[in-house]
Amino acid sequence: MNRRYKKWILVLVVLVLAGAAAVWYIFTEKFEDTGKLKTDHIVNAVDFIKEFQTDLAKANKKYTEKVIIVNGIVSKVEPADTTVNIKMVDTTSGAYVIFAFQQQHLAEAKALKEGDPVSIKGSCSGGIHSEILGTEKIDFKRCAVNK
Amino acid sequence: MKKTILSIALVLATGLLFAQKKTTTSAIINFDATTSIDKLPKAENKTAIASLDTKTGKLAFEVIVKSFAFSNPRIQEHFNSVGWMDSDQFPAATFKGDITNLSAVNFAKDGTYAVTVKGELTMRGVTKPVEAKGSIAVAGKTINASSDFNVKLEDYGVNGGAIAAGKVSKEPRISVVAEF
Repeated sequence: MNRRYKKWILVLVVLVLAGAAAVWYIFTEKFEDTGKLKTDHIVNAVDFIKEFQTDLAKANKKYTEKVIIVNGIVSKVEPADTTVNIKMVDTTSGAYVIFAFQQQHLAEAKALKEGDPVSIKGSCSGGIHSEILGTEKIDFKRCAVNK
Repeated sequence: MKKTILSIALVLATGLLFAQKKTTTSAIINFDATTSIDKLPKAENKTAIASLDTKTGKLAFEVIVKSFAFSNPRIQEHFNSVGWMDSDQFPAATFKGDITNLSAVNFAKDGTYAVTVKGELTMRGVTKPVEAKGSIAVAGKTINASSDFNVKLEDYGVNGGAIAAGKVSKEPRISVVAEF
């Protein structure tokens, strides 16, 4: 075979392999363990909720899709199918922040009880004013108890 | 004076005890747009707000769109993008409706009751009518409401190459479970 053709076939094979590797990476990529992620903000639950109540748009811009450690007191452990969510509620307004846990950190959430002081790390999904409850709520997903 | 205060307190207490509007902040909503080609477009939202008025049959759900957790970061990013849910612009999705056959449900008696729910689903700033079959399971003081239905993405202005290529279902399945 002509040396020039050999060279082009080699380039083609390399490109196909690189493309296949990229597609494989994209389709098998998973979210990392939140416990190991870099933290963007560390906040106190009551002050954090107040920020959303004061200026929802500003707080959403600052915190949404960021990895945040929230320190506070467990107000409620709510069952969610076979899992649980942890809630921290501002008792004066009823506004709250709620944490859904990553699979590998569920046992840590299930061990928590009302009144426990806790530090939770998770990905903030942002906050809204709930029409149903008439107050602000802030969601977190893929959480872990911060150790 | 004491009698008046006592009467008011009794009325308030009775109202609280027999409150007909039940709410939960941990309702679960699953979104499944998988196809035979792609099993990735699938997510769960475990922090939805739901309410059920056992007297009027009014049912409502409210979710933060960015709370849908996917296993794959790129699919989640795509889901929230401008061409899809545009969740920066429209951060919440809501459903407001009624159980149309409320008389078929006895909230005072344990059992599972088949219901039909009719209402309006708002996503991406677009409101469309939705009708779905579901069930209400009563067990003591606990009420479990569940339903499955499909949404036509085109109705909400969601189109794109992934749908045309069959990687994302044109009519994803939405499953809702709320325990009150």
